[in-house]
Amino acid sequence: MKISLNWLKQYVDIKIPDDELVRLIGARLVEVEGVIDETHKYDNIFVVKVERAEKIPETHLTLCQINNGGEMFEVVCGAPNVREGMLAVWIAPGAIVPASVHQDAPFVIGKRKMLGKYESNGMLAGADELDFDDKHEKIAEIDPAMAKPGDLLADVFDLNDLILEIENKSLTHRPDTFGIIGFAREVAGIMGQKFEEPEFLTHEEVFPEGFLVKNGNGVQSKDSNLKIEIADSNLCSRYTAAYLKVVDADEKSKYLSKMQILLAKSGMMTVSRIVDVTNYLMLLTGQPLHAFDYDKFVALAGGEAKIIVRSAKQGEKLVLLDGKEIECIDSDILITANNVPVALAGAMGGKNTEIDGNTKSILLESASFSLYDLRKTQMAHGIFSEAITRFTKGVPAGGTFNILAEAVKEISAKTVSLSDEFVGYRSADCVKITVDEINGLLGTKYDKDLIVKTLENVSFYVEQNGEMLKVVAPYWRTDIHIKEDVIEEVGRLLGYDNIVPTLPLHGTAEKNSMFELKHTIRDLMAKYGANEVLTYSFVSEKLLNKAQQNAKNSYRIVNSISPELQYVRQSIVPSLLEKTYLNEKLPVERFAIFEMNKIYRKEWGLNSENVPVEKNSVGFVVAERKNNETAFYKAKLYAAKLLDELNIKAEFLPLKKNEAEAQPFEPKRMIGVYANDIYLGVVGEFKNSVRNEFKLAPYLAGFELDLDEVLQLVSYKKEIFFGKKHVEDLTITSDKSYAEALKEVQAKYPNAKILPSVIYQAEGQKSKNITFHIEHNQ
Amino acid sequence: MESAEKLQELKQKLKEINAGYAKISQLTTEEKAKFGQEQNRKKQEILFQIEQLEKAELDKEVEPIDVTAFSGVNEPLPELYSAEMGSRHPLMTELDRVIEIYQMMGFDAMESRQLDDEFHMFDSLNFAKEHPARDGYDTFRTEEGLIPPAHTSTMQHRVLKKYKSKLDEGKAIAVVVPGRVFRNEDVDATHEHTFYQCEGVYVSETCTMGDMLGILREFFEKYYEQKLNIRTQPGYFPFTEPSLEFMIEKPKSLGGKKGDFLEMLGCGMIHPNVLKMAGIDPTKYHGFAWGGGIDRLVMLRYGLNDVRNFESGNLNFLREF
Repeated sequence: MKISLNWLKQYVDIKIPDDELVRLIGARLVEVEGVIDETHKYDNIFVVKVERAEKIPETHLTLCQINNGGEMFEVVCGAPNVREGMLAVWIAPGAIVPASVHQDAPFVIGKRKMLGKYESNGMLAGADELDFDDKHEKIAEIDPAMAKPGDLLADVFDLNDLILEIENKSLTHRPDTFGIIGFAREVAGIMGQKFEEPEFLTHEEVFPEGFLVKNGNGVQSKDSNLKIEIADSNLCSRYTAAYLKVVDADEKSKYLSKMQILLAKSGMMTVSRIVDVTNYLMLLTGQPLHAFDYDKFVALAGGEAKIIVRSAKQGEKLVLLDGKEIECIDSDILITANNVPVALAGAMGGKNTEIDGNTKSILLESASFSLYDLRKTQMAHGIFSEAITRFTKGVPAGGTFNILAEAVKEISAKTVSLSDEFVGYRSADCVKITVDEINGLLGTKYDKDLIVKTLENVSFYVEQNGEMLKVVAPYWRTDIHIKEDVIEEVGRLLGYDNIVPTLPLHGTAEKNSMFELKHTIRDLMAKYGANEVLTYSFVSEKLLNKAQQNAKNSYRIVNSISPELQYVRQSIVPSLLEKTYLNEKLPVERFAIFEMNKIYRKEWGLNSENVPVEKNSVGFVVAERKNNETAFYKAKLYAAKLLDELNIKAEFLPLKKNEAEAQPFEPKRMIGVYANDIYLGVVGEFKNSVRNEFKLAPYLAGFELDLDEVLQLVSYKKEIFFGKKHVEDLTITSDKSYAEALKEVQAKYPNAKILPSVIYQAEGQKSKNITFHIEHNQ
Repeated sequence: MESAEKLQELKQKLKEINAGYAKISQLTTEEKAKFGQEQNRKKQEILFQIEQLEKAELDKEVEPIDVTAFSGVNEPLPELYSAEMGSRHPLMTELDRVIEIYQMMGFDAMESRQLDDEFHMFDSLNFAKEHPARDGYDTFRTEEGLIPPAHTSTMQHRVLKKYKSKLDEGKAIAVVVPGRVFRNEDVDATHEHTFYQCEGVYVSETCTMGDMLGILREFFEKYYEQKLNIRTQPGYFPFTEPSLEFMIEKPKSLGGKKGDFLEMLGCGMIHPNVLKMAGIDPTKYHGFAWGGGIDRLVMLRYGLNDVRNFESGNLNFLREF
């Protein structure tokens, strides 16, 4: 949202420097994303009088003598509307064309010879060149009642301005700030000033006495011919409409207007006199308005002015103002002329009731719709207009009538009828709160008077009863319901930066054993020369297939960014294999990578909180680009060493059950990891078919361990032996496995620590020499 | 049947199917479509079987080894790589430091989940049903409607329930919750769909917004090991009231200029409805909560400028740490 500081200043008296104001707005209202400096955008641009205008024969050009407050200049102008006696806008030689100010190469106007004999000094500017419009048709004309020749254009229209660019996102709950008045009110509040509410927001004086009578919670003109029917108060809490006879455009409408300039500064373009007024009031108040051609409306309704607001039927069609035909969804809200759709409520009007050059009467709408339904409309049809941006914040129902009345005044039309259906009326909540409660939550010492003044400055009604305050918010603050809402107002308007930071005293913390375990493993693995990586929690179906895991066991993301990130992973190792490929390509000659993260599988079902069972897992892969040895033993060494350091007596035993994490491993070269009969995981080389799919070098192995189980067994106690150690090597010749040979040695030395050494097999021999390293504590 | 023969047979079938396509010219348009589909289905089946068989063949080539041993026959005992090759992931090292600082300040720690539900992500946090704010988080969803959380606040309700007995003992709830979160957004140098956050939750009878600002300032000063200027800005979150954005002035030592404020986290006083949902009496207790990204914290500390490095798995990057 763009906020013109000059426009803001029409509603609030700002005595502090602009940069201080911007800082205060940031600290107490909303993030200011940027400030566009327009204080020199209109330098050297003047109001001039065209004293003489002579057509240059055989061209479309006119040679003009212009008067810039006494000094005369010659300018050649190509616009059709240039004529003697008019006041025009002159961009003097050396000035920059305002519309080009923010371009890479701003266009500097000069002096030049035209048609070989005429000297043209500067240019007479159109509204487009002045950055007020996007139509290049004619030069701008100035109302002689507003300016005289030689005046700076910037002074006449208050153009030396700063434009604030506001981050809308943090105002999603504050529809009132989506208008200059609401924004100005907040600015007054944060400066500690009382905001003077514009009369029209709280009074109903536009209409002659006796014109209006009460109608439920709303009003209507006596004998109003407008019938409003709201199918459901949840769709539309209030609908106010007026039938107006349009007065013909007067002489003044050809002049450049302040309203047109304010629209341009806010990022909107002029459309027509009536539409401009509705847009201007929306920017001023935050209440979007819509004008229908009354006669077209009544014709569609079959002769009566009957407005029905209802839900759309799925598939119902409507051609919008932009010419596009939409197919409605059932949460769309439609404005209908006696059931014939004429507008997609809150979003855009229909082509069938568009106002045009022949429009004699209009039906002006000011309403409040369900923000939730409009949110769906916005998403379904991709409409992001200024109007729907405001409606989806929840335009308050309380203001529709007053703002409609102000629009009627601005359009200077004759009101024939007016009806106001207020079906969703809610009285404001009264919040009772004490001064102590406010200070207690904020950690401040504000006194009662300051608190009351702060709230009253932004038009809250406050009744005092000793230390108890009864606070009622104005109708445009639909977000104030509970004590904390009031505390927020006080804290924010007085400045959170005035709260002194303090440190509370409280108990000591418990350590988190899983964090401690992960921290220990991280340190150990790094010491072992391994590299910790992080990979995505989501994987592709292709990756699951490559690792030979069943995709049906993975939770599937329905709105994934790409097929690469569609499934929640079942184990860590497949992601590591993918990163192994990347690193072998780099190339890194040899490496061991590991990751500790969370995994999920459908087969594990839900936990007691009704969410999927979650496990912590550590995956490890070791790879070398050139090595003919057996990688299996390297991975097994890392697993054994790690578990040993964590004081877990791990046993390597054949896998008792086929688990998802074991799928990529080669059964002939894999072994289960157990401790006290508890399954911890698997170590092994990978299947040739897996390795092939991942395109990896042969020296490749890994492991995956269940960290939740490891946590149950881990101990950080160190057994320290201070005595002497006697060390010897023992070789036995056997044709059995290492495990069986080990048993024999263990039987012989039940108290010794037995470590593996080398295994030697002579060529052609069946039996092997298995050497053990034996440590005796003495 | 020997697999080699089986493979031969399948390849023969495939040939026949491919030859079968020639028939298509003799069919009517209607028959053509049906015939084509049927042919393709058969072809895919055969191709799949061939692939399975070829994979099995490939796997068969592997020689068994003695998996109970610790070294290969006639191979040296394997060795660990040298410590110089090793590295810890910078995000994890820093996350450990973050936890350590909060623990020194008396905060318990628990890790955030990576797959959660609508209740914890939104309902328990005072998001009205169908509230547009729910869209603002760009959440992923699974077929079952589960949510990989878009913020660590998904743990607030659990934290409050788990630790509320502390309040009965006259103590405060003081917990931090680091974890991985996910947003459906395009990745570039400063945006990741996967990143880390740390949540903080504090509840007691007497705590104030001043305490919140004090704790946060203390944390950032400890983390960056220097005095810092802080600033706040009003924000909006359904689960806190009042809500704030917390900023620090970028330290000079990290290339900051005066007035260069960085948004570090969102915070606020816990909304009474959030306390109520967890069974805590909001008229007796109040609290505050915050949540902020870890990735940015770390990038600032190390002067990194591309968030994509963290999950790249690229050892040229990771071995620097």
